[in-house]
Amino acid sequence: MNSESKVSWVDRLDPDHPEREQAVEELRAYLVRGLRAALTPRGASNEFCEDIAHDSIIKILDKKSTFEGRSKFTTWAMSISIRTGISAFRRRHFQDVSLDAITEGGLKFDPADMAQGNPEDGMDREAILKKLQELIESELTDKQRTVVRALLGGMPVEEIASRTDSNRNAVYKLFHDARQRLKKGFLAANFSESDMMNALSS
Amino acid sequence: MTLTFDQIKNLLSFVAVTTDDTLDCDDCFSHVAQFAETKLSGLGVSESMKLVQTHLENCPCCKDEFQALLAAMAEVDE
Repeated sequence: MNSESKVSWVDRLDPDHPEREQAVEELRAYLVRGLRAALTPRGASNEFCEDIAHDSIIKILDKKSTFEGRSKFTTWAMSISIRTGISAFRRRHFQDVSLDAITEGGLKFDPADMAQGNPEDGMDREAILKKLQELIESELTDKQRTVVRALLGGMPVEEIASRTDSNRNAVYKLFHDARQRLKKGFLAANFSESDMMNALSS
Repeated sequence: MTLTFDQIKNLLSFVAVTTDDTLDCDDCFSHVAQFAETKLSGLGVSESMKLVQTHLENCPCCKDEFQALLAAMAEVDE
């Protein structure tokens, strides 16, 4: 299958091609193998993988005219299938979790409480935590604080997007901009990247 | 509920490793199959693919999907 060219797969999946049915079945079996390897360790069942492969085939057939040949067709198809599978997995996992519940309490913490036991390098843990608290309040917008809190609670970007009438790209941008603002604030206060990484290491 | 020790640690790590990222998740996804093949082949990453790598280093969700894609490809390429 790996030596299949773009032309042969796209052609064989054409509705008028005599091998279409066989090509769809080959692709379905290929996707199921990959999905099982990727998702079974995360707790997905064989049935779930079969369902995702079915849904993926529909998407792939719908999008195949957009395949540009930068990768093998099968790798491109697998990327669609994996994203479909993980999205469904995330949706199922978070279906009963509200944004309010996961962001309850916001980004609040007590620096003094968290600072017990300074790192071995003698860095002042409480100082960096106080700076973090200050930057969260001064540099982040309410939307950014919500997105950061939800992500720290484990909610994926696309699930936050679905609960905020937004989209994945926009939520990612809020998160990324928030991190950049915090980093800029730390660097301006003469805390290094290493200080940030090691502040809470034991 | 206040942030836990591990959540603050994660936040500080996210902040420390963040870099300029010119791609969004959809841009990354449109190139991720090619990037996966490059990584699996062991070849060096081109300049254009470095943008994908940067996004994956910055976006936990895209990174998670990429790692799953690598696991899938490792299985089917055997």
